Amino acid sequence: MHIPDSYLDISVAIVFILLSLSVLTLSLHRLKKEKLSSLFGIVAAAIFAAQMLNWPIPGGTSAHFVGGALAGILLGPYAGCLAMTVVLTIQALVFGDGGLIAWGANVWNMAIVGVFSGYYTYKALEKFGKTFASFIAGWLGITLAALFAGFEVGISASFKYGLQITLPVMGIWHGILGIVEGAITAGVVSYISSRRPEILENRAPAGKIAVLGILVMVILSPLFAYTAELVNYSEPLENAAELLGLPDYSVYSGLLPDYTVPGLDPYFGTLITGAIGTLVVLALAYGMVKYARNS
Amino acid sequence: MHVILEKSLKEASKYFQNFFIHEYSEKGALHAVDARIKIFTTLVLIFLSISTFEPQKIIFIILTLTALAKLSKISLKKIITRIWLFSSFSFTITLPLFFQDPLYPFLFTLRVIASLTAIQLLIMSTSFSEICSALRSLHAPKIFVSALWIAYRYILLMFQELISIFMARESRRVAKGSHLDLWRKGGESIGLFFIRSFEKAERVQLAMLARGDEIAYYRGRLRKVDFIYLLLLTFVVVWWVVI
Repeated sequence: MHIPDSYLDISVAIVFILLSLSVLTLSLHRLKKEKLSSLFGIVAAAIFAAQMLNWPIPGGTSAHFVGGALAGILLGPYAGCLAMTVVLTIQALVFGDGGLIAWGANVWNMAIVGVFSGYYTYKALEKFGKTFASFIAGWLGITLAALFAGFEVGISASFKYGLQITLPVMGIWHGILGIVEGAITAGVVSYISSRRPEILENRAPAGKIAVLGILVMVILSPLFAYTAELVNYSEPLENAAELLGLPDYSVYSGLLPDYTVPGLDPYFGTLITGAIGTLVVLALAYGMVKYARNS
Repeated sequence: MHVILEKSLKEASKYFQNFFIHEYSEKGALHAVDARIKIFTTLVLIFLSISTFEPQKIIFIILTLTALAKLSKISLKKIITRIWLFSSFSFTITLPLFFQDPLYPFLFTLRVIASLTAIQLLIMSTSFSEICSALRSLHAPKIFVSALWIAYRYILLMFQELISIFMARESRRVAKGSHLDLWRKGGESIGLFFIRSFEKAERVQLAMLARGDEIAYYRGRLRKVDFIYLLLLTFVVVWWVVI
């Protein structure tokens, strides 16, 4: 399920980097008072090791365990999401599994959608029995993560198969593989609840507003990605004007018209204007911070 | 359960070679470049590879990466071994689109090859401790970088622990179970493994507290070789724009 670079459009990849970073920042903020680096590290290493196991399934093929829902159930959603991010980052930077530009999308799918949906499904169904709840959580976590991956790849113009192909391929295949994920998650949770139940009970409650915010982001993320893909590198108003056939009259074209430098190659011009814009914003931000400190 | 063990050990032995790839790579030019610069330039090279479908631009990036590998004494054969599987997968799945756009499967695969090679050059010329230090220097949160470093150091040990649990269960097994039985028993074994992981995490946390709970990160100043490499990459970017 790890998406490599070049399968996603840059605009789609950037949307998911921003979304993932915002949830990770929130998770780190929620856990800032806890000394957890070794817990994240060791549990991340354990999830990594568990992912190495090759589970045989009927028909001669095999499947790998992902562990997003399990991480959420064992560590809570925030710490689980960070532990899964650690796993995905090592996989990208040591093993070359999953791209660097696509890192945000992979974190979004497996460490955020997989963990949060798994955790809350487990919590919602816990009253029907831990084994049943964890099976559904494991199955749903991986299936939703795969559907998001299918959406991100399908919406990207670089990958010519559309959503009508990528969504069913990813969804149906992982819906079937998800049974293995659910069975293993249920086995682990049932064993831990009988031997060390306190591991499953000592989770700090997640804040309602924060969870609502993440839920809104998860629900709206396809819309963000779709808009980013639609707009791409041009202005929505320009697209609308073009659609309506309105003529283009410029009142003042600016110092750097259309984000280019007159007389230079458009791409090179865009790079230069981008650098100038960034420097101006940084200088303004620096000035504001200095002013705020002095006053 | 022996099926899980056999398949997992076979796959893991290939996978874990990655841990030592930096150690057995001969030291070349790219190894001397600061990891912060290498992370930045890798992102730029991937960006250049995936933001175009123009054949001359993609081929230019692949040639640049090949030259960098040669300069850095990184074996092209090893890079190919590590990227061929996903490159051929990308070609296979895009091949049905040949009749709509004959060039598309080739250009898409070349983009994949370029981006995968860029990542492999980073991995094969940079140790993970350098990457962690670089991430910390680039203001990645301390708790996250510490967790990355701890996870990296414990992966082999945790895998060994997991395999030993499966081995012990396998040696006590008297009957062949169904697939469902296998998943259930396997789930129990992983449950035991996670309980041990939590216990180990508590011990490691206490040991870290006793030692001061600090992981030192090296933050050196950029050297001449770093600026030369940046200049070279600037030239690549300008040339990529021009062609």
